[in-house]
Amino acid sequence: MRRVRFAPVLAVGAFALIALTVPILPLPDPLRIDVAHRLLGPSAQHPLGQDEYGRDVLARLLWGARTSLAVAFSAAAAACVLGVALGLVGGYLGRAVEFFAVRTMDVILCFPPLLLALLAVTLLGPGAATLIPVLAILYLPGFVRVVYAGVLGVRSQDYVEAMRALGAGPLRIMFGTILPNVSGPVLVQFSLAAASAVVLESGLSFLGLGVVPPAPSWGLMIGAARATVVQAPLLLLWPCLALSLAILAMNALCDALRDAFDPHALTGAAPRRQLLARLLPGLVPSAGPVLELRNLTLEIGTPEASIHPVRDVSLRVKARETLAIVGESGSGKSLTGLAVMGLLPPAVRVVGGAAWLEGRDLLRLDEATLRKLRGDRLAMIFQDPLASLNPVHRVGAQIVEALEVHRGLPRRAASEKAIAALQRVGIPDPIRRAQLFPHEMSGGMRQRAMIAMAIANDPRLLIADEPTTALDVTIQAQVLDLLANLRRERGMALIFISHSLPVVAEIADHVVVMYAGEVVEEGAAQALFAEPLHPYTAALLRSAPTESGELPVGIPGTVPLPHALPKGCAFGARCPLRAERCEAGRPPLVEARPGRLTRCLRWREVA
Amino acid sequence: MSFILKRVGAAILMVWVVASIVFLAIRLVPGDPAELLLSQGGVAPDPAAVAELHERLGLDRSLPAQYLLDLGRLATGDLGTSLQDESSVADEIAHRLPRTLELIAAAALFAVLVGIPGGLLAAMRPGGVLDRLGRLLSALGLAVPVFVVGTLLVLVFAQTLRLVPAGGYVPLAQDPLKHFTLLAMPALAIGLGLASSVFRMTRAAVLDVSQRDFVRTARAKGVAPARILIRHVLRNALMPVITVLALNLGTLLGGTVLVEYVFNYPGLSGLLVDAVNARDYPEVQGVVLVISVLFVGLNLAVDLLYAVIDPRVRHA
Repeated sequence: MRRVRFAPVLAVGAFALIALTVPILPLPDPLRIDVAHRLLGPSAQHPLGQDEYGRDVLARLLWGARTSLAVAFSAAAAACVLGVALGLVGGYLGRAVEFFAVRTMDVILCFPPLLLALLAVTLLGPGAATLIPVLAILYLPGFVRVVYAGVLGVRSQDYVEAMRALGAGPLRIMFGTILPNVSGPVLVQFSLAAASAVVLESGLSFLGLGVVPPAPSWGLMIGAARATVVQAPLLLLWPCLALSLAILAMNALCDALRDAFDPHALTGAAPRRQLLARLLPGLVPSAGPVLELRNLTLEIGTPEASIHPVRDVSLRVKARETLAIVGESGSGKSLTGLAVMGLLPPAVRVVGGAAWLEGRDLLRLDEATLRKLRGDRLAMIFQDPLASLNPVHRVGAQIVEALEVHRGLPRRAASEKAIAALQRVGIPDPIRRAQLFPHEMSGGMRQRAMIAMAIANDPRLLIADEPTTALDVTIQAQVLDLLANLRRERGMALIFISHSLPVVAEIADHVVVMYAGEVVEEGAAQALFAEPLHPYTAALLRSAPTESGELPVGIPGTVPLPHALPKGCAFGARCPLRAERCEAGRPPLVEARPGRLTRCLRWREVA
Repeated sequence: MSFILKRVGAAILMVWVVASIVFLAIRLVPGDPAELLLSQGGVAPDPAAVAELHERLGLDRSLPAQYLLDLGRLATGDLGTSLQDESSVADEIAHRLPRTLELIAAAALFAVLVGIPGGLLAAMRPGGVLDRLGRLLSALGLAVPVFVVGTLLVLVFAQTLRLVPAGGYVPLAQDPLKHFTLLAMPALAIGLGLASSVFRMTRAAVLDVSQRDFVRTARAKGVAPARILIRHVLRNALMPVITVLALNLGTLLGGTVLVEYVFNYPGLSGLLVDAVNARDYPEVQGVVLVISVLFVGLNLAVDLLYAVIDPRVRHA
């Protein structure tokens, strides 16, 4: 839970304080009539003047806060107690009880709230005695739902199971364990109900159907002041102002509580992407590779310190070649791919390096130019094709869009090309399939469609970020074959990002192994698999299932977090070959053999 | 298809529940409902009048018989007659309902035209000037109750500036210009609050959808920001916005009471308030029933609209 913002609490607190202390404040009697001085302006005795019966406006205004908050608080409290009880019982005790406790609430929701209140007033007559129960019933469903949902979420969790195993009775579990867990949402619901009750109470009183005169109520005051608005407009403005301020404060408190208790609420805005801060190495573009990434460093600015999830990463990939980036989660491999595309999340920015694609540094291009390249000269596919395709557009239309944006093709020609692209990725019956929505396709088919979208404009470079991780094994193999074929036929360069060495072994020509944001080893795929030169690569190979049937061996420990990197080798803590000199400083990336780089001081002992 | 049938079935069930509740409500109140309705300020009503009302409301029969009779009458569209002047409740409602619907439609139009573009603009630069301004205005719009807005509008535009009449109603056929002038103020009074909720929901939904994977895909495709916003984000963001709008409109079906009262607008809700004041139960019952049916119908319409916007819903 985050801290609740202070200002709204203070504002609502002030209203509550007025409501509580108004009887002991030195104010005139709010009900005392003085017809001789009706509608009189401000005077020493009556700072805000006198109303149509000569009563003191300030006193009535402050007493109005008491009426408003008393009705709102009573109604919300009654709804809260009953709603929490029903929600707990319904959520915890199951079926039959659930039906009565929870489903019947839907009935209340069939009526517009004000209407239900009016129905009750017709039958029971106006007054606070009618108002409070009616408002309580209106807000009941909100509490029941919140608590019910909370209980369902908590009920199956381990610690509740554990308590049950320990023999705790249902009552004890409900009130001791579950209730504290749903108290946040209930508090939010309480503030919502109270704020809404203030609005309804004042509205009904305004109509003369809520609080009964002569009791001081803002709604009544506004209603009464309408008759004399021409002579005394201020009489109308004061209660309007008081009411609006009270609701504004309560709404702000609702928002503040919701922000504090809702884990999904957005945090502060992320910093915008900045221009490159440092001078970069390697200002001369090289001719050979399709993409040459040099010394890429990324930074995430946090209030405490800045961390660098990717440091000094260099790699190159040629046409018709597949470069695999391998590493565990948190190694920075996906961020590297996104940085090349210019699709980094807003919090992450490039602070060093260059990415040369066909003579242009992608990291230095402005967004508009980069946009023209994305989806055209370079393309990317992602891990989860279902989430990555727009659910409301047909698959064909999403491919057509890529063609329209870059080629300016007319709709007709574009959709023919889109169908051809679907055919190229091995989707049978592409004309019909183009008409499907993403959710109507299988996982493998969706990933093929993603690939079709990516290659529609014949990119020079395709970055595939874990494209097979969400797929089952047979489909995985098909997608890998497809990527390999496309690369060969189209002369594309392919960067294949994966955490799985066996998958990489099937497709890669060249491998870059990343660990904790750095490249730790690089080399041609066959050589690297045959003879790893970094203990991490060796450990990764041992952790993968092999064809010879040897048991995979896990790597002890976890990847260090980017804000808690050790001074020496990042892999040190998990390394079987660790020596004192490894902890002295960050080992350099050295060329151990021709074309083989490793960031290990003891690489000779690895193999 | 089965999706539509299921929703329509649920809606019919809802209408039946509502009718039953309205039927039961008056009979569940302790004491004789006829006496209750006729008593004014603690004076015992005339026994002859009570007996007559018993007969008119059918209270002299057994409860199940009353229930069947009532439902049978409702099914044929007969909502009974007013206790005040014997006029047909159904006729009176049919006369006034279109006016209220027009008012709500005008308010909704205003809310959509202001709230959705506003929310989009604010979401394009979270924390920017437009965003902060929009959030401030929407907080105000939500805080000031609709009858306060209405009263203040009357005070400023009718009584001080004398630009428009303080209220009333003129049929469209009689004087179109005056008709819309008189419609504008109450519609604006409702629309300001409504636009505020639509604004907030649009902003929140657009910000939420902007972070989804498929937006990244669209960017990876090289689609321009404006096109991403309109084509990829907005349509996915519309669902929660429609929900909020529909919920609000449903509430408004009964909630125009206050505005109609302030502007002396002869709509359905005005009829309701008069009926409540006169304790004219058949009329109250009729209006509540009609509004609730509309409310249920509106929710049904929203469900069906979802299916149009989001193809996944059709298979859920």
